[in-house]
Amino acid sequence: MTEFKKIEENLKTEATRLLKEGLVTVVLAYGKGFDENHPMPYAAKTIADVENIVFNEYCNYNMARYLVRYPQGTKIAIAVKAADSRAVIQLIQEEKVKRENLVILGIPVQGMKNPKTGEIIDSKTTCGMYNPVLYDLLLGEEVHGAKSASPYDVLAEYEKMDKEARWEFWKKEFDKCIRCYACRKACPMCYCDPCFIDQSKPKWADKAPQSPGNMMYHLTRFHHLAGRCIDCGECSRACPVDIPLYLFHKKVAKECEEMFNQAAGMSIEDKPVLVDFRVEDSDKILE
Amino acid sequence: MSFEPKILGIACNWCTYTGADLAGTTRLKYPQNLRVVRVMCSSRINPSFIFRAFQLGADGVLVGGCHPGDCHYNTGNLYARRRLATTKKILEFAGFEPGRLRVEWISASEGNKFAEVVAEFTAQIRNLGPQAKLKIQE
Amino acid sequence: MLKKTAIEKISQLAAVLMEKGTLLAPVKEVSGHNFAEINDPQKVDLSFYNTIMSPKGAFFPHKEDFVKYKIGKPLSEAEPAVLNLKPAFLFGVRPCDVKSFEIMDIHFDAAGIIDPYWRFRREATTIFGYAYDLNQPVDSADFYNTLGIYAADPEGSDIFMVKKDKELLLKAITKKGENLLSELAVLKDGSAADEKYFTEYVNKGKEYKTRFMTLDQEAIAKKLEDIFDNTDFWTKMSAACLSCGICTFVCPTCYCFDICDDTLFGKGTRRRVWDACMFTDFTLEASGHNPRTQVYQRLRQKISHKYSYHIRKYGVISCVGCGRCTRYCPVNIDIYSIVEAALKA
Ligand code: SF4
Ligand code: SF4
Ligand code: SF4
Ligand code: SF4
Ligand code: FES
Repeated sequence: MTEFKKIEENLKTEATRLLKEGLVTVVLAYGKGFDENHPMPYAAKTIADVENIVFNEYCNYNMARYLVRYPQGTKIAIAVKAADSRAVIQLIQEEKVKRENLVILGIPVQGMKNPKTGEIIDSKTTCGMYNPVLYDLLLGEEVHGAKSASPYDVLAEYEKMDKEARWEFWKKEFDKCIRCYACRKACPMCYCDPCFIDQSKPKWADKAPQSPGNMMYHLTRFHHLAGRCIDCGECSRACPVDIPLYLFHKKVAKECEEMFNQAAGMSIEDKPVLVDFRVEDSDKILE
Repeated sequence: MSFEPKILGIACNWCTYTGADLAGTTRLKYPQNLRVVRVMCSSRINPSFIFRAFQLGADGVLVGGCHPGDCHYNTGNLYARRRLATTKKILEFAGFEPGRLRVEWISASEGNKFAEVVAEFTAQIRNLGPQAKLKIQE
Repeated sequence: MLKKTAIEKISQLAAVLMEKGTLLAPVKEVSGHNFAEINDPQKVDLSFYNTIMSPKGAFFPHKEDFVKYKIGKPLSEAEPAVLNLKPAFLFGVRPCDVKSFEIMDIHFDAAGIIDPYWRFRREATTIFGYAYDLNQPVDSADFYNTLGIYAADPEGSDIFMVKKDKELLLKAITKKGENLLSELAVLKDGSAADEKYFTEYVNKGKEYKTRFMTLDQEAIAKKLEDIFDNTDFWTKMSAACLSCGICTFVCPTCYCFDICDDTLFGKGTRRRVWDACMFTDFTLEASGHNPRTQVYQRLRQKISHKYSYHIRKYGVISCVGCGRCTRYCPVNIDIYSIVEAALKA
C-alpha cells in the first residue's frame, strides 16, 4: 500500500493542479486539526489552502457528506476512500450531484483508525473494501491480496440471538441515545430538509430523549437508509454514546441485497432499490 | 378480561377498500377487530405509519393493495412490495414480531378473500397476544 | 476539616451518602464515564478523566416533566410533577465543571429569573469537587487554564477531594461541606501530613498545564462583534461542521431548552427538553422563515454567544474550557482554535 505521507503529497499536488487550472472551485479533502491525531474534513478553495491538506490514518471522514452543501453545478474535486466512493455513486444515482461536475480523487487505503478508540477500521464496522469503486485519479497503488471478511460476518451473532434478547439489546442501545442527531448529520445519505424527525406536522416523535421517540427516530432512519447505506460507518463513529448503528444498517443492507440483488453505491447505472421494482419480484419477500 | 386485538387496516382505495365494501354488502361475517384507513394506493403507505400505529397501540397492522399488475396507478404496489418487505425485515431485526404486519393483495371482487384474511390475521394476532414492545406506555 | 478514606473503600462512603439522600456519581458506561444516580454503591467509579456528559444534568436534566394534563379538563385536575427534595450529593466533579455551575446560576437563579427546579436542586445538593489526577496526562482538547481555572481549584465545591496514592483526601470548603463531613463516620481524620499534601496538591494544580492563551474579555467580545459579517471567516471555520448537537449537549454551560407539550389520546405532559443553536430548526419561526439556515450562521452564533454576547450581557465568558465540545465533536472542530483564529482575523 502507498504510504499515508505519499498519498498526502499526491493529494496536494492534484489539488493544486485542479485549482490552478480552474477545473474545480473546491477540493474536499482532509485538513489539519488542533493536533496530529485530530485531522478535520476540509474544503480547499485556493492554492494557499492546499498547504493545510493532510492525510493520515485518522482521516476516516466520508467527504461525500459535504457534496450536497454546494449548489448543483459547482465543480468539485473530492477525495474518497472505498466506502466514500460508494457514497458518491449513490448520490449520483439520487441525482444530488452530477458525475460531470466531480473530479473523484480515489484513495486506496488499508488500516484507517477510529480516532476515539485507536482500533483499526475494518469490515466489522464498515464495508471493509480497500479500493475506491469509482475515481478519475488514483492517488496510490490499489491494495491487492489483503483478505477482507464479508461486511456481514459480524451480524451472525445478532441474527442467532433470540428475538426477545435482540429486542432487549436494541432497546437498551436506543435508550442511550441523547438525540444529538450526529448520526444523521454525519451520514452522507441523510440530506433531507427537513428531516422527518424535525417535522412538526405530522409530529412523528417527541423531542425528549426517551424510549418511544428514540425508537421512532432510529427505526425510521434505518428504513430511509435501506438500500442506500453504503456502510461507511460514519454514523456510529460520530455517535457520542457509541450506539452500534452500523449493525442495524448492515443487516438492512444485507436483506436488501438478498431481496433485490443489488448493493448500494456500486454503479452509477443502478437505481436505488426502493425507488425501483421488478415485475418478477416475488411475494415471498413479504413473508 | 379476554384479549381483543386492535388491528389497523390500511387499504388502497381501488381494490382492497372496495373489496372490504363488497364483503360488507354481501353480508360476510368477519371479526370486528379491524379498523380500516383508506389510502389512494398501497404505495402511499409511509413505513412510519406502521411504526407509529404500533406505538399508538395497534396489535397488528394489515396492509391491503391491488394484485401486482392491477394497481390503479400501474406500479404503485410494486414499489410498496419492496418497501413493506423492508419494513418487515427491520421490525424483525429489532426483535419485534414481524407477524404483526401482514401485506395482502385483495382485489375489488374478492370480498371473500378479505373476510378470510381478516379472520385469519385476527386469530394470528390473538395468538401472539397483546403487543407491548412498541406500544407507548402511559 | 480534612478527612480521608481508602479509594478501595469508596463504596462504603457511597452507601452512607445513599442513606442520607440521592447520590450522583460517575459510573463507567461502555463509551466512558457519566454521572448517574447510584443504586448500587459498588458502581461509583473514580477512575475517570472526565465524564462524557457534563454534570449540568444534575440540576438541569435533559428532560424535565413539569405537569401532566388532560385535554378539556379543568386546570385543577392537572398534576404538577413532584420535585425530589431529598438532599443530594454530586460526587466527583472536576474543577472546571464546578465553575460552570456559577455561570449557569446567572441564567437559572439570577438575572431576574429564578428557575425553581434549578434552585431547589442546587440548594439541596452538596458538591464534592475532585481534582484532576496530576499524574495523568492532560487531554489535548482541554483549555480551562485559559479561563483562569486550574486542575485542583477547590473554589465552588462544598467538599474538595484530591487523590493521595491509594487514598482520597476530603476537605471541607464551605459550611455545608463541613457539616456533612463531620457527620460521615466512615471517614478517618486526616493527619497534618495530609493537610500539607492537600495544600501542595492544590498549588501544584497550577502547574498542570492545559492549552493556554491570554484572553482579554473586552478584546474578544469586540472582535467577534467586528467580524460578525465576515462570512469568509465563518464559512471557513464551519466548513467541516455537521451542525449536530453534540457540542452543545455535552457542554456544561449551554443552557438552551424547548418547552414541549407532548399529548397522546387526550393526555399529555408539558416538559422542558434541551435544545441547541446547532440544530437547523432551532430558529425556525412559525411563519416558516428561518433566519439561520446556514451552518456558518449557527456556528457563529455558538461561538459569539459564549465569547461575546455573554460577556456583554453578564460580564463573563460562557465557557469553562473543559474541552468536551472539542473532544466529542465528530469532526474535531475546536472552539479554542476558532477563538484563536478570530483574534487574528
Ligand atoms: S447509515 Fe451510517 S454507514 Fe450507512 S451511509 Fe449513512 S453514515 Fe454511512
Ligand atoms: S433520517 Fe430520513 S428524513 Fe432524516 S435526513 Fe436521514 S433519510 Fe432524510
Ligand atoms: S449520534 Fe448517537 S446519540 Fe446522537 S442521535 Fe445518533 S444515535 Fe443518538
Ligand atoms: S462543532 Fe462539531 S459537535 Fe458541534 S455541531 Fe459542529 S460538528 Fe457537531
Ligand atoms: S391502487 Fe391499489 S395498490 Fe395502487
